[in-house]
Amino acid sequence: MPYLLLITFPVAIGASCFLLRTQTRLVIALAVATMLAQLALAVFIPVDQPVRLLGLTLNLDPLGQLFLIVVPAVTALMFVTTWRLPHGENYLPIALMIIGLASTIVLLLQEPFVAALLLVSAGLLSVLAIVDLPTGSSLLVEPAVIASALKYLVLMAIAGVLMYMGFILINMYRPGVMPQQVEPPRIVLALLAVGFGLRLAVAPFHSWLPDLVEHAAPMVAALVIIVLNTTGLLFLISVFQFFPVIVAENEHGLALLAWLGALAALAGGLMALVQDRPRRVAGYLVVYNAGMVLFGLATITPAGLAGAVFEAFNQILAVPLLLLSLALLEQPDGRAPNVVRRDLLWRWPVGGAGLLGGGLALLGLPPFSGYASKMLFYDVAARNDIVFLGLLVGATALGLLALARLAHQRLLGAPEDQLVEETPRLLGMTEVDLPVQRRLEREPPVVALAVVLLLAWCLAIGLYPQPLLAMITDMIRGLTFVREL
Amino acid sequence: MMPTLAINWTIVGMAAASGMILLLRDWRVTVPALLASYLCVVLFLAQQQFITPDLVFGARTLSTTVVVKLVTGLAASAILAITAITFSREYNLEELDEFSLTELRRAARRAQRQRASEPFRISEYIVPFWALVLVALASLALPRLYPIGSQEVDFAWYWLGLTGLFTIVIAGDMLKIGLGLLLIVSSVDLVYTAVASTVQVFPLALLSLTTIVLALSVAYLSGLLYSRLKTLDLAELYQR
Repeated sequence: MPYLLLITFPVAIGASCFLLRTQTRLVIALAVATMLAQLALAVFIPVDQPVRLLGLTLNLDPLGQLFLIVVPAVTALMFVTTWRLPHGENYLPIALMIIGLASTIVLLLQEPFVAALLLVSAGLLSVLAIVDLPTGSSLLVEPAVIASALKYLVLMAIAGVLMYMGFILINMYRPGVMPQQVEPPRIVLALLAVGFGLRLAVAPFHSWLPDLVEHAAPMVAALVIIVLNTTGLLFLISVFQFFPVIVAENEHGLALLAWLGALAALAGGLMALVQDRPRRVAGYLVVYNAGMVLFGLATITPAGLAGAVFEAFNQILAVPLLLLSLALLEQPDGRAPNVVRRDLLWRWPVGGAGLLGGGLALLGLPPFSGYASKMLFYDVAARNDIVFLGLLVGATALGLLALARLAHQRLLGAPEDQLVEETPRLLGMTEVDLPVQRRLEREPPVVALAVVLLLAWCLAIGLYPQPLLAMITDMIRGLTFVREL
Repeated sequence: MMPTLAINWTIVGMAAASGMILLLRDWRVTVPALLASYLCVVLFLAQQQFITPDLVFGARTLSTTVVVKLVTGLAASAILAITAITFSREYNLEELDEFSLTELRRAARRAQRQRASEPFRISEYIVPFWALVLVALASLALPRLYPIGSQEVDFAWYWLGLTGLFTIVIAGDMLKIGLGLLLIVSSVDLVYTAVASTVQVFPLALLSLTTIVLALSVAYLSGLLYSRLKTLDLAELYQR
């Protein structure tokens, strides 16, 4: 049964990698090979052929298949970079386990109770990756890292409980039978909005995400955002599909959610603007993006939904690009440490370009990959209410200002390391008397290559979004809860 | 003859146990209280027989699901109790550099000073007390405003969920946060078992597994925090 293989294969290899975790290079090779095999499996697996197992229905829809193709491709690239970037001892085993769990969720979208609990379990598993230290590290886990992990754990557990509670209510709801004052569809939508709001880091439920991006290793943060948040979004879409009553009986609630999404995007952009540290700016750009996605989803229109799904896939590319570039820029570069550098684009050209490209892709500026989805959002906003359009454009403008400020403060300053003229040797001068020659490190080629590849994908999709957009639009057409504006 | 008021003692026990978790701070009381809360929930489920019994113990019949919940409660409480007793994920000191060793020594001194200067103060129990009062009022009012199951079930799950929520809000240490989370999960477990129109085995089993994984995660983070700061106090964690 190929569906079972999609679940068990990464989990089994993850367990093996855990046993071999001190053999770093072997584990990296194994993890990359697993992701490529998973990708091949997802490409050739039959779609929409539900099977029953242990009383559960397993099915892979085209949207899930696209997710299972894109995520292994990007994570394989991320795993390659662990060759040079410092990472926790258990990062790769945990990442494989999380991908196994995410695949299970995608296959079990028709079983909301199970999917909600699996999402919580995957969140709990990622806590271990957040506090992880490299093999034989001489450092201690920073209290701030433990604090971020704790915050993430508590909020994800609460998110899971709220989702579960929502499913219990919708499961027992029979129109006309339940007492009228309860109004389950409204309560369910409220529970799901907070639960998924926490999962997707939509403001004001976002507080875990900037902390995670700031304190955890960039690759751990990228893994959590691209795998678990995207799975959460697919799950939410499937919930609307399997419980259409939530959409049908909540017109005002969905309108309220659309406002919440637009305001959340604005808040994300504003908060990104007032941050001083690059990691926090990156975190808040993701929060901005989550608001945009929520807006698109809450409009329940084909264009809004297509934009939300497209944006989720854009995020799968842009977030690793942004965070890998940050990891590259934070590498010790042979210069004095603990000095704020303002010339990082000249010092690390690939990392600097990746940071700018990733930021622009998240903000949806042409010619990067988020362009198509943002245009869809603006189109839906303009047709809905002009105030929506103002909010969304304002949010993007704030995000752009935040990125420009970051570039001005950290990337585009004049090069600080000018060529030093060789001091003429005086009579009696020895080697000891000469100033020490500083050896500036080059960008690690493996990481630089990964950043270039991600940047190229972002540009390629931005310049030619039609195939992906057509595929997503086609899938959206199959959803029964979508309505025309 | 005076009418007798039917009191469900399992609910009273559950309310008292979870109330103690909210009110008190010492893990020697709160962890056994968690176990007591799980036992009361199990007894309540066995008494109400929401799921058809399939096991026979002498004159009594039980559902396998109830037994699974008992095992889950025992496991989660044992994990937290062992964590509280040992509190350590000790670093391999030989691998640490001089700075890290100094940092550990400094944390140990700070924690020792804090423990020495921490007398019993009644004022620290004022907020938990009023939180408990609020929980009691809400648990009595909400079943009338938003009824979901029978009045007993509604009171039980609202009480468990709210005590869990308030425990997290006012928690001063990491273990207490874990206790609060476990109470909330227990509340959802209870309501699903009691009111869902079709109770499926797989979600119930997964919920039990999630409870244990949650307890393990809290235990791991507690151990990590203790070995780093020699205390589980959250104020120390956020002070830096």
